[in-house]
Formats: sequence, structure tokens, C-alpha cells
Amino acid sequence: MNVLLFGSIAEKAGVALLQVEATSLSALRVELIKRIPGLEHMRYAIAVDRKVMIGERPLTGSEEIAVLPPFAGG
Amino acid sequence: MSDGRPHKVKDIFVEGAIPASFIAENIAKHATRTDIGAHEIFLGQVRADVVPSVQDGRVQAIEFTAYREMALERMTIIREEAFTKWPAMTCLHVHHSLGCIKAGELCFMVFASAPHRIQAREAVAWVVDRIKAELPIFGREILSDASHVWKTNS
Repeated sequence: MNVLLFGSIAEKAGVALLQVEATSLSALRVELIKRIPGLEHMRYAIAVDRKVMIGERPLTGSEEIAVLPPFAGG
Repeated sequence: MSDGRPHKVKDIFVEGAIPASFIAENIAKHATRTDIGAHEIFLGQVRADVVPSVQDGRVQAIEFTAYREMALERMTIIREEAFTKWPAMTCLHVHHSLGCIKAGELCFMVFASAPHRIQAREAVAWVVDRIKAELPIFGREILSDASHVWKTNS
């Protein structure tokens, strides 16, 4: 699945888009920590279909996933 | 002035700083709506913060980026909630800058109009707080020595 990266997380990863295989949110988190250096020390949220998700849920691969660093609007 | 009503996704993002003249024009456009008795406007300006972790570090500019689709979806929900909470509100206009905005320039506008001041005043304060907390907008603060830090809303 496509994972969109933003702000400081895109900077750490060196790309704004990652291809990741994961069948659940927890598996996705594990994969992201492997792929993005220093992510485990950063504050971030994961959005699934443009909604911030906490906890666990299955993923089919058709979702729009985004990794969001702290917001800074305004 | 139907463009200020809820229920459709409006693009709040503008490339570059918000010119003061744009705000004046926005005020002027409301002159035909004689049911309005109060405008309340919040303007966000880029502040030249001192960054203590960097020697002589001072913010020169903020480069804003956003997860547009999610931001616009969240904004539509916030707008609809605002019109539910303050049904007398006549209209609500929101603009946020993307790209590089220098210290002293305007990057954010929330403009509410209503028959009376209380609705407009309360709605603007509430909408500003919701936007800062919920819209996926990111800010790269560019410092005097060309290094950068990432802005985080408290």
C-alpha cells in the first residue's frame, strides 16, 4: 500500500511516499519504524482514509495511509 | 455571499502570504449584506521567534505544507459544526497559506460575520483553536543561519 509522509517525517525518510505491505495498523507501525530512521523517537499520528487512528485495526491495502508529524497550522 | 455557507468542500489554501489588501477586499464584499451587524477577524502572522537550541537562531520564515485532502475534509466538518453551534452566523471565511511566509507576513485568516458580535466573536475563537489542533498543516521554520526546525502547535 502507499503510505504518504509529511513534514519532518518525510524529511527523515528522504521521500514523501513509501510502499509498505501490512495487514494491520500494528504491523504497519513495525514496518514504518524499520523504514524511517529515528521514527521511534518522533511524535506522529497515523491517518487511515484521512482520519487519525489509534489502537488496532485490520488493513486491506486499499486504504489511504498517512504518517503525520505534529500539526503547526495557524 | 452564498460561498460562505457550509456543506461543500472549499479550498482554504492560498499559495504565499495573505495580503492585507485581500482582507480589506473581503470586508468590502460584505457591504451588500445589510443583515450583518458584526465582523470578527483573526489574523495569524509569522513571528520571528528566538530558537534557543540554535546559536543566534531566529525564525526568518515558515514554509507551510499540508495534507490537503485531509485538511479540507476536517475543515468542512469544523465549518458545519460552527454553523450548528452559531446558527445565526451569516458567513465564515477561512484561508491558510502554503509555501514560504516571511516573519511579519500573514499566513492565516478566520473571518466570521453575524447579526450580532457575540456569535461572530465566539465562532472565530472556536474555529481558530479547532484548526490549530486538527488540520494536518506542517511548518518548517527557517532560521537566520539557514538551518531549520519544525514548528509544533502547543
